[in-house]
Amino acid sequence: MTFTRRTPVRLLIAGLAAATVLAACGSSSKSSNSGSGSTTSFSGTVPQGGAITIGAEQEPDCFDWLGTCAGSSWGYWMAEVNTIPLAIQASGVGPDLKNTPGPVLAGEPTVTTDPVETITYKINPDAVWSDKVPITCADFQYTADQQQNSKDIYDRTGYTGIASVTCPDPKTVVVKYKQGETFATWQLLFSGTVGIMPSHILKGKDRDTLMKDGYTWSGGPWLAKWNKGDSIVLTPNANYWGNKPHLDQVTFKFLADTSAEFQAFKSGQVSMIYPQPQLDVVDAISAGLPDANSVYNAKTASAEALWINNQKPPFNDKVFRQAVAYAIDRDAIVNRLFGKLGVTQAVNSLNPYVVKDYSDPNAWSNYKLDLNKVNSLMTGAGWTKGSDGIWAKGGQKATFTINSTTSNKRRELTETVMQQMLKTAGFDMKIANQKASQLFGETAPNGDYQMALYANNLTSIQPGECNLFCSQNIPTAANGNSGNNWYRVSIPELDPLLKSVDTNLDDSVRKSDAAKADDIMAENQVSLPLDPLPDIVIWSKKLVGPIGDNSIEGPFWNIDQWGVNS
Amino acid sequence: MTTAPPLPNVDTELALPAGAEPVARSNWQLFRRRFFRHKLALISIVVLLFLIVVCFGAKWIAPYPKNQTNLLITPGGPSAKHWFGTNGVGQDMLTQVLYGGQISLKIGLAVAFFSTIVGVFVGALAGFYRGWLDQGLSRLVDLFLIVPELAIVGIAIQRLGATDTSFIIVLAALGWMYIARVVRGQVLSIREKEFVEAARASGASTPRIIVRHILPNCIGPIMVNATLAIAAAVIFEATLTYLGLGLQPPATSWGILLNQAESAVTSTSQFYLVFFPGLFLVVTVLCVNFLGDGLRDAFDPQSEH
Amino acid sequence: MLTYIVRRIVYSVPVLIVASFLVFWGVRTTYDPTAKYRNNRDAARVIAEKKHELGLDKSIVAQWWTWLTDALHGNFGTSYRTNDSVSSMLRHALWPSIQLMFFGTIFALIIAIGVGVYSAVKQYSAGDYFFTGTSYFFIAMPAFLFGLLAIALLVTLPVEKFHLSEPILYSVGLHSNGQSGFNLDYIRHLVLPVATLVVQSVAVWSRFQRASMLDVLNADYVRTARAKGVSERTVIFRHAFRNALIPLVTVVALDTAFLIGGLVITEQIFAISGMGRLFLDSLQGGDAPVLLGWFLVVAIFVVVFNLCADLAYSILDPRIRVS
Repeated sequence: MTFTRRTPVRLLIAGLAAATVLAACGSSSKSSNSGSGSTTSFSGTVPQGGAITIGAEQEPDCFDWLGTCAGSSWGYWMAEVNTIPLAIQASGVGPDLKNTPGPVLAGEPTVTTDPVETITYKINPDAVWSDKVPITCADFQYTADQQQNSKDIYDRTGYTGIASVTCPDPKTVVVKYKQGETFATWQLLFSGTVGIMPSHILKGKDRDTLMKDGYTWSGGPWLAKWNKGDSIVLTPNANYWGNKPHLDQVTFKFLADTSAEFQAFKSGQVSMIYPQPQLDVVDAISAGLPDANSVYNAKTASAEALWINNQKPPFNDKVFRQAVAYAIDRDAIVNRLFGKLGVTQAVNSLNPYVVKDYSDPNAWSNYKLDLNKVNSLMTGAGWTKGSDGIWAKGGQKATFTINSTTSNKRRELTETVMQQMLKTAGFDMKIANQKASQLFGETAPNGDYQMALYANNLTSIQPGECNLFCSQNIPTAANGNSGNNWYRVSIPELDPLLKSVDTNLDDSVRKSDAAKADDIMAENQVSLPLDPLPDIVIWSKKLVGPIGDNSIEGPFWNIDQWGVNS
Repeated sequence: MTTAPPLPNVDTELALPAGAEPVARSNWQLFRRRFFRHKLALISIVVLLFLIVVCFGAKWIAPYPKNQTNLLITPGGPSAKHWFGTNGVGQDMLTQVLYGGQISLKIGLAVAFFSTIVGVFVGALAGFYRGWLDQGLSRLVDLFLIVPELAIVGIAIQRLGATDTSFIIVLAALGWMYIARVVRGQVLSIREKEFVEAARASGASTPRIIVRHILPNCIGPIMVNATLAIAAAVIFEATLTYLGLGLQPPATSWGILLNQAESAVTSTSQFYLVFFPGLFLVVTVLCVNFLGDGLRDAFDPQSEH
Repeated sequence: MLTYIVRRIVYSVPVLIVASFLVFWGVRTTYDPTAKYRNNRDAARVIAEKKHELGLDKSIVAQWWTWLTDALHGNFGTSYRTNDSVSSMLRHALWPSIQLMFFGTIFALIIAIGVGVYSAVKQYSAGDYFFTGTSYFFIAMPAFLFGLLAIALLVTLPVEKFHLSEPILYSVGLHSNGQSGFNLDYIRHLVLPVATLVVQSVAVWSRFQRASMLDVLNADYVRTARAKGVSERTVIFRHAFRNALIPLVTVVALDTAFLIGGLVITEQIFAISGMGRLFLDSLQGGDAPVLLGWFLVVAIFVVVFNLCADLAYSILDPRIRVS
């Protein structure tokens, strides 16, 4: 599934993996990329009643979560997570998230692989939709059928290989894959941004029409009402079978301007915001916000990097890519951007923290600022410094352009700093920023760039980078220009390792192969990881409950457990 | 957002106060004397010239190279080494304001210049020839007035790229209509005057009549509108940058600096980031407006002091 | 008079049509609505489907013509972004913006005329200098800066300094949760957005009013009236004022189109879901049908307002011959 995030980012589409057990993220080992402003653990009673308003930076385009118009993280965080039952949830408050069965299931699904991959779900006997109709296997069947056969589906990953979804009884679901097909990341099924759809309401009708403007039913603790252009309002679902929400109402108000949003928070007009990690936000937090709690989490599902088009000169030369990596002081940049949050070092893997077990977190750690290394690499490859201090070879200068998104001050400042660093090292970098829709819709997929600065955002705790870095996924006419290897990485020894991560049944082999893959990519310097793009949550002290960051499902995933002191 | 507000005129004849004699070019001394009595305008000219010199001479005057960052220093307010303070990545704000002024002033002056030229041309033609040409040109003016500015700017910048040249082209293309209308009205009223009849009778060609006899009498409103156009263009550029439709780095302008400091508006410790670019912007626009006032008073023979 | 109005309307139609084509062409050739489907597994198929569905495989003129004929039947198509009907999106967006423009224009006029006349009558007095100074100051300040400063000083600062439980003036939307209608809550929400929207216009209009009032006060016929012994008050309000309003009317009519542009900033800062926000979202999303519908509505507004301005002329000054 692909999303556009609040700071428009590209998303990793989960690849194929043959995990048999859910992977829990590791313990909280202290790294220099973690940090928290205040406590996220909560014990105590939560007052009943009350209404709160939360600032939302983006409005979704539509509520048809399966369709192509629904590529908005905010829509997922605000509405889908709270109204659509998810089989597996990425739960947790803080940096360490775990895959757990959602309230709609009676327990963990069981998986067998002989003769074909078979997943069995047991639905919670109490689970009902908001109109009291029970949630049954028919809903799973409907959802799978939509994902496979409906016209306008955002991402069919994992469903195309399903041979059958059968119902031994209404509360048991048996999903069988086709012979020879395996889907290792099966936790994505009926979860993530797909969820479970109500067949008794939607079957036989046009799902998109019925859902896109909002819907009055729900399979979660809340009912959602969408006031277009203005807000999304949640009210408790009276027929929810689980723990009912404490709050009477939650209003997500769309506030596009970050400064105004901050003012609205400080003046009490909204009680919580989830702002982009811009410099001024970082400054404001470190300056202290009275009457407010804040949490910043750098162990997120995002990784911001300097992505490189490996097929476009001058970056089609490995030595050039490495030299550029030695010319930038990544740690200094990250320290300046996020140092006040305690994030002082750059990340050294293209895999975000949530999948760190399937990566080598130190793969790029040798790429520190080293001008001698730059010189030796460049001269070794036949470049000489011209009179203007810029490298030149065969009449060509060491000049390239970086693209990033407009209206993002943090990225603009990063580019400015980089430009100067590179100039000192003998590279001439030009800046050309574009609207996000253009960058992710055309420029990057078409390969019309040399270097691009943006962040990738995972939507599940699953590894799988073949999608991004296997050579067969370079967008070409053969795959209808729809591959996701925008970086045009094509390394023969890399492909089998990445595929193994996707398909190997032995988890320890997957982990070691993933680490090896990271090392190969680092050695070839296919792209340069930069910063972990921290999540920042700020909320008024009037709000009580287990409030914090959930990098995948958003900080509102457990809003039914919150309360407000009047 | 507003652009250069036009002087009173649509299809009517309010251009010159009733009964006033047209100012002929030989009354230059009269004009000068009236202008110099307007002290505020005099001060404004001096300040403007100072700003222009200082900004366009930034290469020699600015203490640091353009856009130079320094991640080692902590950002702070005005100090001995950094008169205007430094920003989040260690850039010297005095340097940035000066270089930013280059772009902002360039855009302002160029837009005013080009929109004036086009506006005068179109307005003079429409007013002098009347008839079909007038109708056609007036409809052209209507066309430009109807099409929303932002739509044009947004689309044009998308296609031409966000450089200062494309901004100048687009803003000039959106700003000439007022001057055209004003000049048209003026020309309409003046062409009936006796001295124009006389010139025509003496065989002067049409362009000559327009240029030597009619336009000089329109100089007043033209100059005023031109000065106001400068101010409007400078502000419009800042506004566009706020909406994300403006210049891109590594370019720097007062608009960009103000936008980078958007959140500093509310913090006491960081207010200097907003104060200095804002000060330069406000002073420029003020001076331009006072200059326009001075010119208007100077061209109006009936103004009293 | 009637013939004049009819003629103006008739002239406006071809202008509208040509303008619509230019905007259509500009938007269509700049934004590709299928761009966002490229990042998709089934991209090639989805894009081909979308192209056909949206009629993108026809020529530009054909596409524009289809749009125009549909629009004349009241069908503005569906948004590329949200699949919503454009007319319903426009309808929703129109109401908040109308409120802002209505109150803004009224208050701006009242203030501008008051200040302008005062400044002209008491030219070069301390009051005149004060108003002149503040007018110029506000002209020089970009609206977004004014808006943010206003919020900081009038909304946040009182709350922090005096530990209020809620701010005196609001900066988010037009109503608090659950409120509606014309009440104190509404006014508290309205003050700052309206002020931000018209601050520059007020400053400019007051300068205009002052200048044209001065022109008129020095005119021959006014001198004559004074010489005849007419009281100053009568001179001002009976003779000068009406004529001095005429140029202001032009400016206000022309500025209306720009106020609509000003809505973009105001609605962005104050989180009001009106025409300005709709425009910005559609521009950035390349949502051509909404942009076109938006343009049409705005253009009609501008034409209507200009017509009203011309009508106002003839009311204000029967001497004016409109040829």
